[in-house]
Amino acid sequence: MSENTTQQTQTASTDDRSPTDGRSPTTTTGETVEQTRDEWTDYEFRGDAKLAVEDLDVHYGDDHALKGVSMEIPEESVTALIGPSGCGKSTYLRCLNRMNDRVSSARIDGSVKLDGQEIYRDGVNLVELRKRVGMVFQSPNPFPKTIRENIAYGPKKHGDLDTGLLARLLNRSDADERDALVERCLRDAALWDEVNDRLDDNALGLSGGQQQRLCIARCLSVDPEVILMDEPASALDPIATAKIEDLIDDLAEEYTVVIVTHNMQQAARISDQTAVFLTGGELVEYGDTDQVFEDPHSERVEDYITGKFG
Amino acid sequence: MADASQTDARLVESETTETDAVAGVAVGLSAVLFALAVAALFERVSLTGSLFGIRTVTLLGGLLTALGVAVVAFGAGSRLGYVETDPDPSAGLVAGFGAAVPWVVVGGSAASQTLGLGTTVGVLAGTAVGGGAFALTVLPREDVGSTLPLGSLLALTGLVFLTGVIGPTWVWELDWAQQAALTAEFLIPAATLFSALYGGWASAKAYGGFGARGRHMGAYVLVYLNALSIVAFLFVLVAFVVVQGVPGLLNGVEIGLGTGPQTTVLGVSVTLPVSVPFVMNGVALFNDFQGVLPAIVGTVWLVLGAVVLAVPLGVGAALFLTEYADRGRFTQVVEIATNGLWSTPSIVFGLFGFAFLIPRFGNGKSLLSGMITLGFMLLPLVVITSREAMLSVPDEYRDASAALGVSKWQTIRSVVLPAALPGVVTGVILGVGRIAGETAPILLTMAGGTFVPGSQTVDVLGSFQFTSAPPFVANPALLEATSALPYQLYALISAGVGASSNVGNADEFRWATALVLLVVVLSFYAIGIATRYYFRRRLTHT
Ligand SMILES: Nc1ncnc2c1ncn2[C@@H]1O[C@H](COP(=O)(O)OP(=O)(O)OP(=O)(O)O)[C@@H](O)[C@H]1O
Ligand SMILES: [Mg+2]
Repeated sequence: MSENTTQQTQTASTDDRSPTDGRSPTTTTGETVEQTRDEWTDYEFRGDAKLAVEDLDVHYGDDHALKGVSMEIPEESVTALIGPSGCGKSTYLRCLNRMNDRVSSARIDGSVKLDGQEIYRDGVNLVELRKRVGMVFQSPNPFPKTIRENIAYGPKKHGDLDTGLLARLLNRSDADERDALVERCLRDAALWDEVNDRLDDNALGLSGGQQQRLCIARCLSVDPEVILMDEPASALDPIATAKIEDLIDDLAEEYTVVIVTHNMQQAARISDQTAVFLTGGELVEYGDTDQVFEDPHSERVEDYITGKFG
Repeated sequence: MADASQTDARLVESETTETDAVAGVAVGLSAVLFALAVAALFERVSLTGSLFGIRTVTLLGGLLTALGVAVVAFGAGSRLGYVETDPDPSAGLVAGFGAAVPWVVVGGSAASQTLGLGTTVGVLAGTAVGGGAFALTVLPREDVGSTLPLGSLLALTGLVFLTGVIGPTWVWELDWAQQAALTAEFLIPAATLFSALYGGWASAKAYGGFGARGRHMGAYVLVYLNALSIVAFLFVLVAFVVVQGVPGLLNGVEIGLGTGPQTTVLGVSVTLPVSVPFVMNGVALFNDFQGVLPAIVGTVWLVLGAVVLAVPLGVGAALFLTEYADRGRFTQVVEIATNGLWSTPSIVFGLFGFAFLIPRFGNGKSLLSGMITLGFMLLPLVVITSREAMLSVPDEYRDASAALGVSKWQTIRSVVLPAALPGVVTGVILGVGRIAGETAPILLTMAGGTFVPGSQTVDVLGSFQFTSAPPFVANPALLEATSALPYQLYALISAGVGASSNVGNADEFRWATALVLLVVVLSFYAIGIATRYYFRRRLTHT
């Protein structure tokens, strides 16, 4: 306890937005307060915050999956979330574009701000929110449609592309724009070379890794500002993984990427900052990737990273 | 007998040996017997006649005996070590009960009837014999247990046929109901059928060398014979109707330019190059050949109307239940109500149409009332199957679509519905099969007659009219009474022999009507299958 307090004063003395202070009154059990106060979750970064999460609590029925998580995610950077299985990384990610609303047993308390605007409040346009905050899921889930249709699906439904019968009859079809978009997204997702000769084949005929890259391409098609990725490379071979990592690197120049990964080396390679969740749904440490991996403040994080537990 | 190391090392089955061949022939023999028994049951093979120059009963008896002896011999050979097998310590309880049941019947009826010892002794003897067969199956090693009781049962049955104890003219009068009697025409094929199944089971086990592989073979043969007999049954049924119906259908058929009736196709009047009076005529005094055209057209419109009514309603209801309503008390009630509606007897629907619809639509039986009644009958099945189909669309698709910012309704329209369509179509196919053959509701709501004149053929497309008063469109054809095939068939049958003067050969006329009904229903079925294939292909190919 004393050791951690010293560390806090050393590194974060300038910080006056310490969420641990703000959280203490609202947290439910005394034990949780002690535990989280213990740890190091406060972090000052350069640049603006794209997403600001405060006191996020998620319950699935009686199951307390996320406990008072507060963290700010800087824009145009890569933030990695690591932690043992079942610690709530996916849950956290799904809160950022309100996908957890779709789980009827989920109860979400706390605040998430996108560009300073609260997304957990009445009257938020979920369609607009999810267009701005895109998501790639843990397991590939392409639609049972052609590759081309998979990519064009989002823009078509948003009315940005019109290739319907009427448009074709009126000679206003956006087929060329669509094909250009399909090619750009597939190239960005490092899939173009493999599928450019079978764009009209069903996407379910692709391999698992190809399907996952297709899902990334599909996510890019609606031009999101934030991309949430839930272990996007778990089904990929090293070459495709390297391609995806390059892609993430490129994306980070324009987009804000939040990525869950089980692969420590990957997190260390691609991310600018890393957040470590540990079992029980707590955010235990958040900081510059180099610092988290080389010199973690929390002993539990050090144990986890060096493989002693988790 | 194989010692342990030898059997364990036998990963690759040894080449076919003579003993394998014997067991294989036994399996084949059972299949032949099974087929003969089915044929005899449907009177395709005469029991009093002969096959290949041998009296049928003698042939059946001989084959059964041979099969039984072969099975027993194989078991004995295995037990004594002449045949290399891999038996378990016991054939198991299931096999025991399987063998006990026929022996109870044999023992019981032999004691009470053949020996005339009365019911009590019969029951006792049956129990004793069955118990013996059970013990004989369960107690010894598997090779003996699964061959000896069944093999001797087969041999016994065969000998009973061979010696003429039960001959082709044998009858067993059952006392308790004056008219009931068990005749040889039923008993011999039925006994042969069951014996063949048992023989096939036992010899398949033997062929597999007993043990796990033997049981697998036994189950395989039983399942295979079952599946085969379903196909055979369907085939016999269809073939029977076709054979009986074709003469009536082809009455007065002419092929050649200008022989058929005139029709208008897309505004052009053409003369069909074939004339099939049975499906192109109604019944009229001066017709050379009478037909059922009004009923065919009536059936087609009836089914189309019911589908048009039920599919949008049903799919909509299913959508609401799966995608929008929270799962709870309300959806449960709806679900129970739909299931109950599907099980409601059709005559109840008919009565509803008769009492509720008819007074509201022109106060007479009409095509429209029939359509609505059948639509209501079809509705619950469409709801049930569509709901099932939508529930089986993976949630991942919905998540993926939502994560792209696509609204719920658009997701349903472009992802959920296409993925659910094959299932929906399956439901409609099943439902159409049922309603197209319904008689009772039509009897009460749409009627028609025994012999329907050609003038009663509904012309739904041609009789749309515009009116000056609301609802501005009218279709008198929908409000006319017309006929449908199943109802006409029923009317023809209940009209009896007296009707024959009208249509020449009334029997031919009936069977031809049945055949046409079958063809119409199967055509709807084919359309449904093709549609489903199309939608499914779109999901998995291209
Ligand atoms: N839809 C749900 N309903 C109920 N409980 C859930 C649901 N989704 C997640 N949980 C629970 O919330 C906890 C956190 O789950 P989550 O999926 O966020 O873990 P994770 O960190 O992503 O694990 P992994 O690395 O294995 O993907 C788990 O205990 C899980 O059982
Ligand atoms: Mg996860």
